[in-house]
Amino acid sequence: MKFFFSLLAFFVCMPLQVMAGAAELPGQAPVRLRSVQADFVQEKQLKILTHPIISTGTFAFQAPQSLRWEYRKPVPSLLLMHGGKVKKYVERDGHMVEDTRMQLDAMQMVLSEISNWLDGRFTDNTMFTVSFPQKQTILLTPKDQGMAAMISSIELKLADQKGLLDEVTIFEGPGSLTRLTFKNRRLNQELPASLFTGR
Amino acid sequence: MKPIFLAILVLSLAACAAQQPMRLPELTAREDVQSDTACESVFPRGHWQFVHAIEFSMQDGSGGTVLGVTSLAGDEITCALMTVEGFTLFEAVSRPGEPLEVRRAVPPFDKPAFAEGLLDDVRAIFLPPAAKNIQYGQLGDKALVCRYAGADGRITDILPTADGCWQIKIYTPELRMNRAIVAQSCKKMGNSLIPEHLELTGFRNSGYTLKMTLVQAENPNR
Repeated sequence: MKFFFSLLAFFVCMPLQVMAGAAELPGQAPVRLRSVQADFVQEKQLKILTHPIISTGTFAFQAPQSLRWEYRKPVPSLLLMHGGKVKKYVERDGHMVEDTRMQLDAMQMVLSEISNWLDGRFTDNTMFTVSFPQKQTILLTPKDQGMAAMISSIELKLADQKGLLDEVTIFEGPGSLTRLTFKNRRLNQELPASLFTGR
Repeated sequence: MKPIFLAILVLSLAACAAQQPMRLPELTAREDVQSDTACESVFPRGHWQFVHAIEFSMQDGSGGTVLGVTSLAGDEITCALMTVEGFTLFEAVSRPGEPLEVRRAVPPFDKPAFAEGLLDDVRAIFLPPAAKNIQYGQLGDKALVCRYAGADGRITDILPTADGCWQIKIYTPELRMNRAIVAQSCKKMGNSLIPEHLELTGFRNSGYTLKMTLVQAENPNR
């Protein structure tokens, strides 16, 4: 299950990493973000699906390493990271319960990457080759072949406002992708620690 | 010595009990067309697509929650599993008379036994059992039942009106329970009864439970 959770951790954290200040084109000064909050819509497309699966949720990030990533629909779930601790909650029988079965060490490993992104070190990523096919687009291609078999590329669409993203699209293979679209973004607000520790 | 002897005796009796075939619930035959059509309505016909939130629990305490997509086109089934975050873990197509085509399988979902087991579960829920013989009748509690006897010796009891929805019980040729499916909160969609909630319990080697909640159901034919 470790490999699965490594991927899951990456998948959960990736949009956060880029939202949290990494969305910079070469030559631009890094934008130091203290915090970001946003709503997101996640659209899952698969060849077999007649209509995409739409998920909605919110997230909040505060430097250096606090995260709240929450799905509201269709399956409520919540990931919290704060003070080096990671917790995940899922809905069971109508109640949010802690998912203690999840291996979280991989989560912590991925979190260490976030500080690089916060410093705007966008081309120093150990996991991806970074290219800039268009002015407002960043393309990440996995370096590791094992990862490439699961995710062919990740496309980041930058927002007009410097340092923010409009969209993250994760391409898994022909006909299969996940697109996250962000809206209602609030930058550099003071966020209480309880946001990252409580349900 | 007495406790040891007793322990051996109990274990021996338990072993014998495990070897003894079970008895199927007694069926009182009824030549009733209604039960036939009622049992048919348990299985969606034609082209359908379902998305379920699936909570799976293994006997060893492991488990998790995933999203499942099931696409039906007659006897052809395509199914996919993905994380809540949208990452595709598994995708496979099953066509009658052809080997299972696994299009994507991320560890630990890449074991052949997992693929076969998953498709068996999907078939059990969505496809009528292949039967050489069907009996219609009532169980002791007056519940309607259609009993399908397969050429491979498996017996499938379909209870089309149990608790306001339906239930399926599948027995091995040795008449041991293999799978039990309990559907709840059924909605009539076309000629089919589509449940909001499904619970499948597997009794093979290591037991497991799938709790499925319907997210969306589409019938492009309708």
